[in-house]
Amino acid sequence: MILEMAADALGDRVAFGNLDDGLTYGELRDAAKAVARRVAGDHEHVTSVALMEPLSALVPATLFGAAWAGVTYAPLNFRQTDGQLNELLDRLQPTVVAAPHWIDEAKHDTELAFPEAPERPAILLFTSGSSAAPKAAILTHTQLMSYIMNTLEPFSAGEDEAAIVSVPPFHIAGVAAVLSSTWIGRRIVPFPHFNAQEWIETVRREGVTHATVVPTMLDRIVRVMENDPEARVPSLRNLAYGGARIHRSVLERALQLMPEVDFVNAYGLTETASTVALLGPDDHRLALYSDEPMFKKRLESVGQPIPGIEIRIIDESGAELEVDCPGEILIRGAQVSGQYVDVASKVDADGWLHTGDRGWVDLEGYLFCEGRDDDTIIRGGENISPAEVEDALLQHDAIETAAVVGLPDEEWGERIAAMLVLAPGVTELNWDNVRAFVRELVGSLKTPELFDTCDELPQTGSGKVLRRQVRDDLVAKFGE
Amino acid sequence: MPNLMGKRYTCAVCEATVLVTKAGDGELTCHGQPMDVAAAKPLPSSD
Repeated sequence: MILEMAADALGDRVAFGNLDDGLTYGELRDAAKAVARRVAGDHEHVTSVALMEPLSALVPATLFGAAWAGVTYAPLNFRQTDGQLNELLDRLQPTVVAAPHWIDEAKHDTELAFPEAPERPAILLFTSGSSAAPKAAILTHTQLMSYIMNTLEPFSAGEDEAAIVSVPPFHIAGVAAVLSSTWIGRRIVPFPHFNAQEWIETVRREGVTHATVVPTMLDRIVRVMENDPEARVPSLRNLAYGGARIHRSVLERALQLMPEVDFVNAYGLTETASTVALLGPDDHRLALYSDEPMFKKRLESVGQPIPGIEIRIIDESGAELEVDCPGEILIRGAQVSGQYVDVASKVDADGWLHTGDRGWVDLEGYLFCEGRDDDTIIRGGENISPAEVEDALLQHDAIETAAVVGLPDEEWGERIAAMLVLAPGVTELNWDNVRAFVRELVGSLKTPELFDTCDELPQTGSGKVLRRQVRDDLVAKFGE
Repeated sequence: MPNLMGKRYTCAVCEATVLVTKAGDGELTCHGQPMDVAAAKPLPSSD
C-alpha cells in the first residue's frame, strides 16, 4: 500500500539507486508486483518469502511484494554459515527464497488486489542474538504502519533528498529505512559493503542528504575525515546513528567535523518496529556547547520517547523507579510487538514490553541505556556494567575498542576480562599500566584482571559486539 | 473538497481514522460531521 501510494503520487521520481539509472517508484511497484505474482503463482503453498541478499532493488521489491501476495517477508543474515541458514529456513517452512532474476522481467501490468489482513505477520526478523540464540520476532502490518504514520508525513521529502543506507536488510533499521523512505518519497542510495572512504565519495557524488550508520561506521568515517581535510560531505543534512552504544569521544569529534549536519541518535528494538526514542539535533548541540552537567551528559542519552510511546524503569521486584535510578527498561505503544514464533511473549498483561535492556531516565525524561541486563557482571556481589569499564579502557590512547565480559570464578562469582583491539601502530601494552589507568578512573573493583587482544571484535550485522563469542574466546584462553 | 492522497482523517466522536490511498473528490464524514485532517508530529529523520 505504501509503495502503491508512492507510485501513484511520485511515479517518475527515482526511488532506489543512482539518479541516472535508478528505479523509479513506478518501476519499483512493477518489480514488487513481479515478486507477488511469482509467489502467488509458482509458490502458492508458501507462507513466507525469505531473502538472503545484501541491499539491492530486490530488497524493497520483496518486502512490498510479499505484502502484496499476502505472505510474510523474512530477510535473513546472509553472512551466516550454510548450516545456520538452513536451520533458519527450516523454521520458516513452507517458504521460498527470493531470487534476483524474479524482478528482471518486471513489466507494467494490470491491477493486483491487496489482501486485507492487518494483523497478519508482515515481517519476521531473527533477532541479532548478541546474548542468546536468535529468536524470530513477529511484526504485523498494524505495528509497522503505526510507527510510520505516527512519525512521518507522506511525500514530505523534497525531490532532491536521498538517503544512503548502509544497514543490512535483515536488521530492523534496514526494514524501517525502506518503509519510511518510500512513505515520504526519499530516494534510497544503497551502500551494502561499508568502507568509510567510499561512503564519503558516494555521499558527495550522489548528493546524499540523509544517512544512517551504526557507531562502528561513524568511528571509521571520523578517522578518514581527521586524516583528510578534503574528505567532507557538504550535501549531508541529517545523520542518524544507533544500534549499539557510541563512544562519547567519537560522537564529539563527529559533531565538530560536521557542524552543519543534524545528528539523531535513535533507540529501538527489533521487537518495537524500529525507533522508540530519539535524541534530536538540538539536544546534540546543547550537549556539546553547554556547561550544565545535565545537558552535557545528554550526548550519552538515546533521547526522549517518540509520539505514541511510553517508557518506564522498574527494579527487580517490578516497582517503578524514580529518575536517575537504573533498572530494566519497559516500553509500551501501538508499534510494540514483543511476539515471537514458538517463544513466550515479552509483553506483560498491561501491554509493557520487558526489554531486558538496563537504563534510567533523567529529570526531563531523557533515556540512558546501559546495555543488556544479562551482560551485567556480578563480582563479589557488586553489579558492574561492562559499558562503564569499556568507557574507561577507551580513554587509553593505545586502545581502539574494548569488550568487557565476566568469566566464571569460584572466589568472586565472576572475574572481569577484557578483549581489546589496539590502536594502529601499537603492538604491545603493559597490562599493569592499563590496570592502573583503569583503577584510577573506576576503582579496583571494576578493573579487569585478564586481558587479551584481537584484530577485530566479533560483531553482529548492526555493530553490536557478540559478547557470547568474546566470552567463549576468553574462556578458551584463560579457562573456566 | 478534494481529499489529498496520504492524508489521514479522524472522527472527533469515535476516533476512527482513515488514510487516503487514492485521491478523489468528496467529503469524508463520520458521525454526521466532516472528519478532521490529522498530521504526524514531524520528527527528525531517524532511519
